[in-house]
Amino acid sequence: MSSSIASRSIGILLPLVVSLIVSGVVLLVIGKNPLDVFSLIATESFGNARRIAATLSAATPLLFTAVATAVCFRSGVFNVGVEGAFLVGGLAAVFLGFTLPAAWGFALFPICFFAAALIGAIWLYVPGILLAKFEVDEVVSTLMLNFIAVAITGYLVNGPLLSPLSGNNVTPLIHEVAYLPRLMPPSTLHAGFLIGLVCVAAYGFWCRYTPAGFEGGLIGLNQRFSRAVGISVPRTIVGVMILSGVIAGIGGAAHGMGQMHRFSDGFSPGYGFTGMAVALLGRNHPIGIVLGAILFGALASAGTTIQLFSNIPLDLVNIIQGTVMIFAVVELGRISLRRKKGTANAG
Amino acid sequence: MQVEQILVSTLILTTPILLAAIGGLVNRQAGIVNIGLEAKMLSGAFVAVIVSSATQSWFIACLAAALSSAVIGWMFSLTITRAHANMIVAGLGLNILVAGVLGFILSWVYKTSGTLRQPDVVLLPDVLPEFFEKIPVIGPALSSLDPLTIFAWITVFCLPFVLTNTRIGLWIRATGNAPHVTRAVGLRSLAIQDASTAFAGFFAGLAGAHLALASLGLFNEGLTAGRGFIALAAFYFGRDRPIQTAMACLLFGFLDTTQIRLQTAGFPPKLIGMTPYLMVLLALIFTSVRAQRKAQL
Repeated sequence: MSSSIASRSIGILLPLVVSLIVSGVVLLVIGKNPLDVFSLIATESFGNARRIAATLSAATPLLFTAVATAVCFRSGVFNVGVEGAFLVGGLAAVFLGFTLPAAWGFALFPICFFAAALIGAIWLYVPGILLAKFEVDEVVSTLMLNFIAVAITGYLVNGPLLSPLSGNNVTPLIHEVAYLPRLMPPSTLHAGFLIGLVCVAAYGFWCRYTPAGFEGGLIGLNQRFSRAVGISVPRTIVGVMILSGVIAGIGGAAHGMGQMHRFSDGFSPGYGFTGMAVALLGRNHPIGIVLGAILFGALASAGTTIQLFSNIPLDLVNIIQGTVMIFAVVELGRISLRRKKGTANAG
Repeated sequence: MQVEQILVSTLILTTPILLAAIGGLVNRQAGIVNIGLEAKMLSGAFVAVIVSSATQSWFIACLAAALSSAVIGWMFSLTITRAHANMIVAGLGLNILVAGVLGFILSWVYKTSGTLRQPDVVLLPDVLPEFFEKIPVIGPALSSLDPLTIFAWITVFCLPFVLTNTRIGLWIRATGNAPHVTRAVGLRSLAIQDASTAFAGFFAGLAGAHLALASLGLFNEGLTAGRGFIALAAFYFGRDRPIQTAMACLLFGFLDTTQIRLQTAGFPPKLIGMTPYLMVLLALIFTSVRAQRKAQL
């Protein structure tokens, strides 16, 4: 028992430790003291209220994309299409946010969020049903759908939905009544962060206390057993894909209505993939997800300042993110297990 | 737009996709879906530009690009085969990691962001003598053949034989299709998988070298522009068979060529750009539905 707890905490810490080592080595190579840089990152991202707000603001979209990823990953469904659902959901919300009459006032919030959730759900329902019904590999289908989402939204913001007032690649601004309220006015931290926290909490509740969440976790652990106890695996797969799409869509809406106030070509600089890193780092656990999102939010918000002041390229953040993703899925526990088995067989 | 021009640019634009797809399909035959092709193409392009500028030899540049990407591929393979990393997530992570490392090197070492220009980069030479250009229709395409394009197509036409009739080919296919059997007959299936991923890295590196050295002579962070994923689309579309995959690559190269022309004719370029991905989705659905029908009969 104690050894399993130990190996679990190693599993959680490993990607962090490795990425710290990798980035530390990189910093040493370029002649910077890693400890100085890390403490600079810490003060830049958590030093005072304004910086904390900036960090949480950067963490906001990641809360949604991480939960959307975790919902599927814990069921063993490798949905990498959260990025696409985030984009189409965001565009749907923004589109309604500037086409519906501004006079509708606060009614715009539920309408926009609902539309985003619906579009996101439909977007991921497609690969979900394809996987459940026809065993179409979900990794490839969702990966392809990401590119299709980028193409469609890119086409729309450069064509039919292009703002007549400003230059390229952007839609008009949404009505001001549809702006999500800012929580700490000078900073961009907006109510979307709270919605994100609610999503994480709801996800945690869903995992622990609802039959659907339990079944989702179970088919991730053992599909044959789940089938044997009467869980419909195809239905659960479609269910988690739809849920993932709903959350990703809401995330896109929150980002569009709280942060950007419009849709542009670079609406998501890979939030879907960073969210994947967050979900993996947090081992699909709600608290882990919140901490992971804040960590990556801190890196993103501090990264720019670090580049400005100490001349360290912002790409360091990507190096850390890539390392975290690779080592989050490395299973050291299974290496030793296999060796033991091997020796047992040999003996 | 003349037929000759379409042929020339289709041929040139197909080569990087084809090279990457060759590696990817062999890798997938051995049971590994290589999502990290994009990363290895990018690093290959970078190495090719640096080495070409330093050595004044396109050949050494291509070799260095291929070998460096093969090493990256091999290390990437170790995380999958030995440390049981999920190959999809690790592949996506590798793409981000390599892009980060290259971006870091660009801004720290070369003090530039995005694009790297080096002095005296030697481009890939034309192989056939000039008088081939006089041949009608296919002449310009023949005279613009570069060594990597020829190498890619020779490999494509040799691969079916290698995969079906040689020991190594059978090992690779057995590893992907029946890992238990492979292990039971005493083959080191993990080592075979590692070798196939290194092979995929080798070809992805060449693909990157072609992107950088075919006509541009410079490195750019967005040089690959998703071609690693188009290659993935191609070998999924061609169901890991060399000739079919090559045909898919030609089709995607042709789409790439026409994209620019259709744009001037008023078609939205973004929507044309998504055709390969849409085609793969449809092909996946089609093959899966058909396989299921067969299973039911």
